[in-house]
Formats: sequence, C-alpha cells, structure tokens
Amino acid sequence: MIYEGKQKIWSEYQKEIPDDHYFYVRSCIRQSFFPASEATFLDITRNVLGKDIFETEHHTTCGGIAYHSDTIPQETVMTIIARQFALMAKHGYENYVCSCITSFGLYCETMETWREYPELEAKIRENLWKSCKLEFAKPKFLVHASDLIYKYRNLIAAQAVRKLVNVHTGEPLKVVEHIGCHYSKMFPSKGVGGAEYPYVLVGMIEAWGGEIVDYPERRHCCGFGFRQYFIKGNRGYSLSNTHKKFESMEPFKPDLIITNCPGCPYFLDRWQYVIAESTGKTYGQDGHGIPALTYEEVAGLVMGYDPWDLGLQTHQVGVEPLLDKMGVEYDPAKKYLGKDGKDLGSPQPCACLK
Amino acid sequence: MKNNILIIGGGPAGLEASAQLQRMGYNVILIERSAKLGGHLAKWDRLFPDRVPADEVLGGLLRAAEGVKCFTDTDIRAINRLEKSYNVRLTNGITVLSDAVLVASGFDLFNAVRKEEYGYGIYNQVMTNADLEAYFKTGNDKRIENPKKIGFVHCVGSRDEKSGCRSCSKVCCATAVKQAIEIKQAFPQAEVFCFYMDLRLFGRHYEDLYLEAQKEYGVRFIRGRVAEVSENYDGTLLVKAEDTVASKPLKVTLDLLVLMSGMRPSASVKELGEHLGMMVEEDGYFSVRSGISAGQRSPQPGIFLAGAATGPKTLPETLADARAAAMEIERYLTEIFPDARNYKQLVKERW
Amino acid sequence: MQDYRLKEGLNACINCGTCTAICPAAEFYRYDPRRIVDIVQSKDDGEIEKLLRSDTIWYCGECMSCVTRCPRKNAAGLIIMSLRNLSIELGYFIDSEKGRQQYLLTKDLCSNILDYGYCVYPRRFDYAGHPESGRVWEWEGKHLDDVFERLGGNLDGSGPGAMRRIPQEDLDQLKAIFDITGASDRMEAVRKAGERKAAEWGMTKEEFEAKIYTDSSPKHLNH
Repeated sequence: MIYEGKQKIWSEYQKEIPDDHYFYVRSCIRQSFFPASEATFLDITRNVLGKDIFETEHHTTCGGIAYHSDTIPQETVMTIIARQFALMAKHGYENYVCSCITSFGLYCETMETWREYPELEAKIRENLWKSCKLEFAKPKFLVHASDLIYKYRNLIAAQAVRKLVNVHTGEPLKVVEHIGCHYSKMFPSKGVGGAEYPYVLVGMIEAWGGEIVDYPERRHCCGFGFRQYFIKGNRGYSLSNTHKKFESMEPFKPDLIITNCPGCPYFLDRWQYVIAESTGKTYGQDGHGIPALTYEEVAGLVMGYDPWDLGLQTHQVGVEPLLDKMGVEYDPAKKYLGKDGKDLGSPQPCACLK
Repeated sequence: MKNNILIIGGGPAGLEASAQLQRMGYNVILIERSAKLGGHLAKWDRLFPDRVPADEVLGGLLRAAEGVKCFTDTDIRAINRLEKSYNVRLTNGITVLSDAVLVASGFDLFNAVRKEEYGYGIYNQVMTNADLEAYFKTGNDKRIENPKKIGFVHCVGSRDEKSGCRSCSKVCCATAVKQAIEIKQAFPQAEVFCFYMDLRLFGRHYEDLYLEAQKEYGVRFIRGRVAEVSENYDGTLLVKAEDTVASKPLKVTLDLLVLMSGMRPSASVKELGEHLGMMVEEDGYFSVRSGISAGQRSPQPGIFLAGAATGPKTLPETLADARAAAMEIERYLTEIFPDARNYKQLVKERW
Repeated sequence: MQDYRLKEGLNACINCGTCTAICPAAEFYRYDPRRIVDIVQSKDDGEIEKLLRSDTIWYCGECMSCVTRCPRKNAAGLIIMSLRNLSIELGYFIDSEKGRQQYLLTKDLCSNILDYGYCVYPRRFDYAGHPESGRVWEWEGKHLDDVFERLGGNLDGSGPGAMRRIPQEDLDQLKAIFDITGASDRMEAVRKAGERKAAEWGMTKEEFEAKIYTDSSPKHLNH
C-alpha cells in the first residue's frame, strides 16, 4: 500500500466545516440503541470544548428510514426536512449538524435536487406553509456529527488520557474504519476524503494513535438495506453482507471497528452474535468478537470516560478485551447497573460469543 | 523567398509534417517543449497491430526530418498576428516571422490516479499501459515478478463522465490486446483477462490480433467494466466486475492489473489556445474548419492542425494527418497567402 | 414519469455492468440492476409493468454504491426507488412476495412517525420479533427506562434529549405534512390493498401480517 497516494486524494476532498454554532438534530436509530453516544457527543462538544451546539425538543425524524423503505413519497420527506430547516432558521442558526448518516445523505440529496429543480423547492415551500405555517431557509453549511468530531480530533487528542494503543505491547491498535454508505457514495465531494478513501474516520484514528486497516470489502455496505432488515424474511441479505465484510477483514486481525453510521455499529455488532451462535465462528481472539464502536464511544475512551457511561455495556460483543488492551480502568461489577447503582440484573450469556 | 513555417510539437505529427514541408522547399522551424523529440512514440516498445518496433518507426521519422531546425526545451513566449504572418517569440530568445503555423501539440495520457476506485498509486500491483510498455522496453518493473493472473482494464478515463471524458480514446482496445499477447509471451503460464465494455478493433489486422489473442494465447475477454479494485492481505488484488453476458457479478483475485489509460487533450492546449486565439471544443481538443473535409485547417487562416491535437488518433492516422496538413499548408502558401491585395477575399472563398 | 428520482437517475445507460459489479444485492439475490435500468431506458411498457409486479425491484438495499461508480452518471438506486414508488401508486406491489412487505413497513414506520416522531421507537422494537438483536437487547428491553436514564437519555421525557417525548403540536405538524403531501393517502391505499389480499387468501389480519413478515422463497437467491 502506498500511503502517499491516499494522502494526495485526501488533500483533494477537503470540506469546509465551520468551527462553531450548530443546530443539532438526532438520529432515530442512535437514540434507540446508542443514546449514550449522542450524550457523549454533546458533552464533548459543549462541555469539554465549549462549543455552541443547539438542540430543540421540537425537532423530529427526517423521515429517512421511511423514505428508503419506500413508505412515504419524496415530497413528504422533503417537506419534513424543510420543517427541520425552518426550526433551524427560527432559532437563528445557519450551520446544521445531523447525527444520522442516512439523514446526511438525504439532506444532501434534497438540496441538490432543489438546486437542479427550483420548481420543486418552491412546491415544498408551499407545502410547508400550508401544513405548518412555517418558512424555511436552507443551511449555509451542512455537516455530519462525525465531521465535527473529525474537525475537533486534535483538540480531543490534546485532552486525551490515552491513545488507541495496546499498552501491553506498545503497538498501535489495528482499527477498521467503516463509513456509512449515505455519507459520500451519492455525493463524494460532500464527504471528507471523498467516496473511495474517506478520511473522516481515518483522521480520527490517526490523531488518536491507532493504525488503519484497509481490507478488500472496506467500502462494502454493512447490509442494513432498510426493508432488508426490518422484514424478517429479508434478513438474510443483511446478515450476508456483514458476514462478507468480516470474512474479508479477518486476516488483518483488527482490534476494533469504528463507524460513523447509526445502523452500522448495530449490525456489525449483532450479526457477529448471530454468526457465533449459529456457526460457532468468532472474529476476535478466544471466542470474542471485534467491538464495533461509534466514533463518540472511541473519542470517549481516549478521553477517559467510564466505559459504562459511554454505553459500551449495550453492545452485544463484549468490549472487555479491548478495554484491557487499552489499559482502561473499569469495574466489571458496575457494568449492568442503572443510575445510582440500581440493580437491573444482567443479560443471559451467549452459547458461543463471549 | 522561402516561407517560414513554425511547427509546434516534436512528436510524430510534427516530425512527419516538417519532413514533408522541408522536401517541398519551405523553411521549417520545429519547437518541442520537452527535452526529446518523438513524443509518446519514443516511450513505446512495439506498435499494434503487427508489433513493429517503435524505435524503427521513430528512427525513420527522425532521419526524414534531418535538416529541419529543431529546438527542444523550447516553448512559445508570445505571438502577435500581423496582417498575414505571425511574429513568434520563442522561450530560447529567438524570434520567427512565420507565414503559417502548424499546431501538433499531441495528447497527454490520462492520469490514472484520478480513477480513484482502481487504486493506481495506492495499491502496489496496479499499473498503467504506459508503465507496462516501459517494462517491455526495459525489462524492469518491481511490480512484475512472475505474475500468475493478470488483468487489463479497458476505458480508464475514457467514456467516463465521472473522470471528465465522455469520448473513446480509440487506441486502447488494440493496445490492450497487443499487450495481453506480449505479457502472455513473457509469462506463458499466466492467465490473462481483459475487462471491456466494447471491443473497438476497427482497423486493418486488428480483428486478426484479437483472434490471435484468443486462439494462440488463450486471453479471456470479459464484457464488464471493472467497478472496484482492492488489496488482499497478501498484496494480491481483488477486482469486481459483472460478466454482463452471463448477467452475473464476479470477483477475481489477480497478481497484476493494467489500466488502459486513455488520451486527453494536451495540457498545452490552454496556453496555446490563448496565444493563438484558437477555439477549443467541449471535449477539450482544438476546433477544426470542418470535421470531414478540412480537418487540418483551424477556423483561422494560416493556422493548421495535425495529429492528436484534434482528437484521439492511431499512429498511421497521425502520419497521414501530418502529410495532409503539409499539403494544406502548401496550397495556402501558393494560392492564398502570396496575393496581398485579395488576401481577405481569398480567405473568405478558399479557407 | 414525473418522479424526480427518475429525472436524476437516468441519463442513458451503456450496459457496462459497473452497477451490478458493486451491488450487494446482485451478489446474493437474482438481481441485476443493469438490466433493470436497460428495461426502463427501453420504455417498453410491457416489460416495465412486469417489473413493477415482480419481486425484482424489491431486492435493492438502497446503499447507493451504484451511484458512485456509473460512468454515465446514472443512478440505478434512484431509478429503483422511483419504480418502487410507481409500483405502490399503481397497487402492483401487492402481487409479489417482496412487494407485499410494504404493507407492514408502511404500517409500522409511518405509525412510528405519527405517534412518536421517530422512524424507530425502542418500545416497539421487541426482542421477540428481533431475536438477532441479542441477549443484551433482550435485557435492555426489560429495563428500558432505567437503562436510558443511566445512559443520559430522556426516554419519553419532556425537553430535549435522546428519545424525548416530542410535543403533540409537532406531531400534529407531521400529520399535516403527511396529509398534504399524499403520505396519508398512501398509508390508506397500502392498508386497503393488504386487507383485500388477506381477505382473498382467507386470512385474518394477524395471519396475513405474520406470513408476509417471514415469507422468503429460496427462488430469490443467487446460486
């Protein structure tokens, strides 16, 4: 691999990411499955780095999942998006940051379609007024939450208490980075680093001391496929695609997977469980899996947050081997406790996956 | 008094035209911006379809052009159009008053790095047609060490809106078939695959070359454009394409991949176009007076064109183009140019 | 067709196969996006209608990998979306096993949006219907409020936060948007089509839903 070749490409796909003053919208899947990641995002950006990241309780889903499951017409999803933009304008912001990758792709697609077909934008304006008596302004800058953490990666590195390094061997951790398809596949110029060699997560890993793993199926979709997962009869599609990725990354022996999409860490995590329980195969060491973490979880780990505050206990693949490699101090007894030490029992153990 | 003719570009078109014009008795000045004459031809090993050695052809062109004033490492500093002639200041300090200018600026090879999904410059075992030709000439390339499975990717940077070139580069299919045969000759045990969208083998003997590649050398032709190239743990390449004939996606592991980089208008077009006030079409090549009947005349009187400056061409087409340009120049300099009084009228009627 | 996704998605296809080469669905299903784009391009109404009634257009996972690579700047993924849209508008989706699933998807996802303002709502994501979500989610599902509190969420709470209760006035606005843009009409049409089909098969609604949730013929797969 010729690293300089990638650097040349990265230098061509730079994206302007404003430093501060963002209107923040959440992700349906991350709120459900990774609420601590979103909480960590806000904690790091607001409390640690002092940025103005504004959230209103009145914002909703962008409708992306329903749109990509073909359950709502394009005009509906565009009007919902226009409503979100109206809330942004109402609160005096022009920088928009979204937590979900499908949202990000959809916002880009919507604005590009409006740019090419102004009559559609006019129609949506009319729709929004008729339905909600709201007027919208398009954001001046639209970024994904991982773009922001990428932008702040050196600030985070400066405050980090540890690196993505195996403290026992001194070697950097081998990290697989997985980019959500809707980040840059439709509009490569809207993603940091483009579509072929995206840099948004690589930049974070490099800043935090890890080593990137490039493997053949790196760019392959995790297989969410919207309807291909929601309907049980289709789930084989989703599983097969994730399985393909794991088979491909196996020889490189990664320690960790970092992803920036809501669904991907869920699928890369849970399908390892299914593969282990149905075939006995695991991809980590000694019957463990490879932890698939969100970028906020990784940022939190290097900054010294408690793993159970980061929500790592809600991953099916056990994160303890990774924590041990990184030298993170944690209390196993506190893993499944609720707030103030409330006893919530614990999950059933798995037959094969540790 | 002999007319001065300035020829811009010392590749095959420029060399051939200068030899013809010199033979006709004109005073030819040839400038070449690089250090060597011969253009791309100087870098090639053997030419399709009959695998004639390139240096033999180049040798012939250089011998025929002996006596022509050639300035290498020389470019244009400034040009002024006088009433009929061109006052040209060269970067070597010399000024030429030229009665006709022939633009033979040639082509550049598409920079395969820009086709990011093929990994040129990132994955070690990916090379271009130019790299392979250099290997055949010198026998040296660290990527080539007894490869067992080799792939050729047609249309790299051609017929591709995403890399900014809609058109076909004409010569790459024949080159791919030739190079496939040559690499099979070098490594008889290797399996060779050509991934193509269409096979453009239009010239004389080209189809025979294709037949030879299939029958004598067992080259496999797969109708499907390569979508992505990645690198396996052991450094081999994983290539994804669709076998469109069978309607099935396929993945192949290869030891070596050769990208057939296409032709692009020379980077000099922009500057030259500005100096000479020449029009350029949407595809980036110079406009001609008429695509069918006046392909060697630019729309402006006194400026002529030959070779790849007006679009992708094979070598024999380039040489024929250069000879045609010489004839056009002769006609202009005998029928139109000398008549000072009726110059404008004659240009209107006959240019 | 007025669908903007078709306007954006179809320039002119040269059948190079780049889209199929990279498509995750093409690898596992009997699916070839190149052929679908070719059919749409041919404007052969008979073939297109066959497509709209078939399972074929429902294999795509909308990952958009095809869009990145097409040398003619087509977008097979967007074309598929417009075909799906048309199939739903015309009611043909109910004819195919995979198309029929729209009944469940529309019911569940749209009701999540109108009831909660989210596409996915954790209390409606039960372990029983999703055993692959694992033992940890099974546990979490039993302690949802406590886990959310522990992790800094705001499940069904007021004010901002993860999974907050979105105020009714905002949900009303979403409903108004659904009404004005035809989403409510679509929900109704899809529901009716499903109920007709269930009646045609002599099934109760629950039986019908269970069937289309799990049906998966092996004939879909690529061998």
